[in-house]
Amino acid sequence: MLRRATFFSIIGPNGAGKTTLFNILTGVYRPDTGYVTFNNKRISGMAPHHIAKRGIARTFQNIRLFGAMTVYENVLIGQHPHIRYNYLDAIFGTPRCTRAEKRAQEEAEQLLDYMGLSARAYDLAQNLPYGAQRRLEIARALALRPKLLLLDEPAAGMNPQETDELKTLIRRLRDDRNITLLLIEHHMKVVMEISDRVVVLDYGKKIAEGAPAEVRKEPAVIEAYLGKGAMGNLA
Amino acid sequence: MSDALLELLPSVLLEGLLLGCVYAMIALGYTMVYGVLGLINFAHSEVFMIGAVAGVEVYRYLGPHIGNPYALALTALVVAAGVSGLLAMAIERMAYRPLRARGSTNRLVPLITAIGLSFFLQDFTRLIEGLWHGEFYMNYPANEQMEALHELPLGMAIQNKSILVIGVTIVMMLALDYLVRKTKLGKAIRAVAQDASTASLMGINPDRIIARTFLIGGALGGVAGVLFGLLYSQINPFVGFIPGIKAFTAAVLGGIGNIYGAMLGGLVLGTLETLGGTYLFFMTDGAIGNEYKDIFAFIILVLLLLFRPQGLLGKTQGEKV
Repeated sequence: MLRRATFFSIIGPNGAGKTTLFNILTGVYRPDTGYVTFNNKRISGMAPHHIAKRGIARTFQNIRLFGAMTVYENVLIGQHPHIRYNYLDAIFGTPRCTRAEKRAQEEAEQLLDYMGLSARAYDLAQNLPYGAQRRLEIARALALRPKLLLLDEPAAGMNPQETDELKTLIRRLRDDRNITLLLIEHHMKVVMEISDRVVVLDYGKKIAEGAPAEVRKEPAVIEAYLGKGAMGNLA
Repeated sequence: MSDALLELLPSVLLEGLLLGCVYAMIALGYTMVYGVLGLINFAHSEVFMIGAVAGVEVYRYLGPHIGNPYALALTALVVAAGVSGLLAMAIERMAYRPLRARGSTNRLVPLITAIGLSFFLQDFTRLIEGLWHGEFYMNYPANEQMEALHELPLGMAIQNKSILVIGVTIVMMLALDYLVRKTKLGKAIRAVAQDASTASLMGINPDRIIARTFLIGGALGGVAGVLFGLLYSQINPFVGFIPGIKAFTAAVLGGIGNIYGAMLGGLVLGTLETLGGTYLFFMTDGAIGNEYKDIFAFIILVLLLLFRPQGLLGKTQGEKV
């Protein structure tokens, strides 16, 4: 259960099944058992592009931008399901087509501005520095106008300054856009400072859930992260 | 003798350009499909052939009713583009998509399917044409107005139909460039070509985009079929093979997967082949004649790929470790 406009984090050791959970939510994998509902609609079994259209967007652990396209085009791709005109409109350049394209362009520009990427809008995505590529992945995901945004280790590989900027950015996202966020992150500082609730996974099972401060004290969590003996040492 | 060769050069180049236009238009179909699927659609040469046949049928049935030869040629082009585009889409839907849907990642299976389809379409066309008209060798009828010559500088002369071929090629290429760079569909095609699974997570249906890609590539192939017929007149159900292989070569020459590479590769190959065919004849006193033009074209290909394996416009991808 994920409540609207809250900020959930998923943590757990490597191989705990965090990214697998994202893949199930976005339709890349089908669950063997159980199912996923979104806004009271069952979405497991749907094709990924249908789920994306319903408002679940994501970023990736290892960046998967369209590297040979410009920053601006990457954002326009995210808007794909929302640009509505047919091929006759395009061939004859009807007002509907021009309007739709213009709206898409304005929205893309706003998003780039919001994410601080305007200056590099016409660079190829692959030529951006690492931190900017991470921000572009979020911008592309936002272009889908998601109700639920899944961020897969957004702080991975970032330096402390970039991590701080990311934290500010994520807070702003929740406040400005009323988006529900689901975050996978190893960076405990990020998780503890910005999540409303934390879920801990290990070997594909949920071993704890609660507010960040509670979860941190949970014995099962400490054990999963540090091994059995650690409890004794801490106590 | 060298004066005679020099005098001939502009006309030979023009001839090469015309052939290159046809190659380029076919090559676009190969390269676009390769771009989105990583598959060489060997049935594309038959998509081209059926475009040429569709054009002949337009000439046969509408020729008596349409007086203006340009209007007739344009009708043939539009019909052929439609027939070939839909055929290419049907091929994808019935032969390739089921293989993809079963999760086959083996590249050889669709390749063999493509070769099988190619044979099927050749013989199917022969059967249909045989039953329909009693023979399967067809001609684009000659037309005085289309063959009329215009004098050009440097001793060149160009026929009206050649102007039409060049004009149609330029328009189609500009339209394709606009489509791929600017439109929503074009951006989606490029996104699917780069990473289909990420594209699907952005709300793009890859199957739909792949079908559209086949439609566009097939339509270009159909147009090429009619242009080929206008230039060389005689066609038959097996006429697709050689131009198909040459166009595939052109696509590789330009850098497979790159549409500008296909355009350039087609023009380069057509020109080199015509140049080689003509000049080998003169330079060897007729010992090696025009019939060796294919060998000449492929020697160029082998040499170029030895030094530039990625093709003229292809990029080497530095593998990140």
